[in-house]
Amino acid sequence: MAAADPPVILALFNNGADTEAFRPLLNDLPGLLSIENPPAKERFAEKMVSLRLNPALVILSSRLYPESRPELVAGLKAIFPVAEILLITLATDPLPPLEQLAVDRIRHLLVTPADDEQEGIVSLQEAILRLLVRTPWKLQDYVRPGSRIHEFPLISSNQKEALIAYLEGAIIGDSQEMELLRQRAALLADEMVENALYGAPQGKDGRKLYCKGEERIINVDEKIFFRFAFDGETLAMEVVDGWGTLAPEMVVDFLARNQSGMDEVSDEVGGRGLFIIWRFMDHLHVNIRPGMQTVLGGHLKAVSTHDCESPRGFSISTDYQSA
Amino acid sequence: MSSSFRVIARSTESADYIALLGNIDASAEQQLQKLPGMVDNQLVHFDFNQAGRINSMGIALLLRCFKQIREEKKAKIVLRELNPTNTLLFKMTGVFMLASHEK
Repeated sequence: MAAADPPVILALFNNGADTEAFRPLLNDLPGLLSIENPPAKERFAEKMVSLRLNPALVILSSRLYPESRPELVAGLKAIFPVAEILLITLATDPLPPLEQLAVDRIRHLLVTPADDEQEGIVSLQEAILRLLVRTPWKLQDYVRPGSRIHEFPLISSNQKEALIAYLEGAIIGDSQEMELLRQRAALLADEMVENALYGAPQGKDGRKLYCKGEERIINVDEKIFFRFAFDGETLAMEVVDGWGTLAPEMVVDFLARNQSGMDEVSDEVGGRGLFIIWRFMDHLHVNIRPGMQTVLGGHLKAVSTHDCESPRGFSISTDYQSA
Repeated sequence: MSSSFRVIARSTESADYIALLGNIDASAEQQLQKLPGMVDNQLVHFDFNQAGRINSMGIALLLRCFKQIREEKKAKIVLRELNPTNTLLFKMTGVFMLASHEK
């Protein structure tokens, strides 16, 4: 029996230099078809139809979309309604403007190193393959095999400080990098737990059931867990709630509003906690099973290759099931 | 270091000095609301040397407090002794658009 063909991955680039810049990331991907400077609108649709393509995944370079070709994603969604769309950007390039991504409901942004560093490339390729099979990320994907996963079921809001102290204690080391990682880990855990405790619980009308900072007992049906794993270099964390109220289209909208809110200094911008989590993580993952569960997490490294201004990635999925 | 939020304030003839101690989150709301009323001068130094974690609620409260000080007291705000994480946090959330950072 012949082996099944790999699913088709369509990759669209601005030009030859753009293709070359992403070559280390995409070189070994099976089923990849690359197109440089794709034709506009109707001609693009005609070309895709003539090629009889049915890609499972469309990869877009941030040098092409959104600034050069803002209409591209709307067109792609019309031609390939079930394909996942992944925007890729180099760590050395500026963060793509998020407003257009929010309008087009882009759910996956991957930041790739600008060099040939093999470990980073492999993990990004794994992320791409995970999109193809539609499985959510797992903590253990980001830490060395055998790393211990610490899990805290939450039954009271008063557990937050003890949980954060335990997390800080697990990051051992006196170096400046480790101290910085402890500070960031504590902040991220705080935001993640607060999101699950006060952001997720909503009534049928969408109104929040609890005020931030309010002391409360957590019902066992809420199924709120915090988990983390640390292998000495990479810290992976996630929070799980049994509410599933985070709307996927709101995630990028929150990020975009807070990104642009930097110019107007508003103290009332919604989703600031999520924005902070995203900016401090190397990559943010959200998997939502509406009305059932939200898993929000990501990873960061003690010695990060990203500077504070460089773009960060995100993956927002709906109903992905663990393999 | 205790994580409970506290404020220590003192004034000279030319400036106010306000030290924020502990974590800055929802529990800091009442004390931060009162801060603008305590400002007497047109120069206010905020010392974060003993501040701990500042979460998104803490950022919202600080933004509100700083805006009020600038608008109602016409005062200049200077922030000092920020740790690297809080420096980055203030940068990404626009706090430095209301207050300068003394390094």
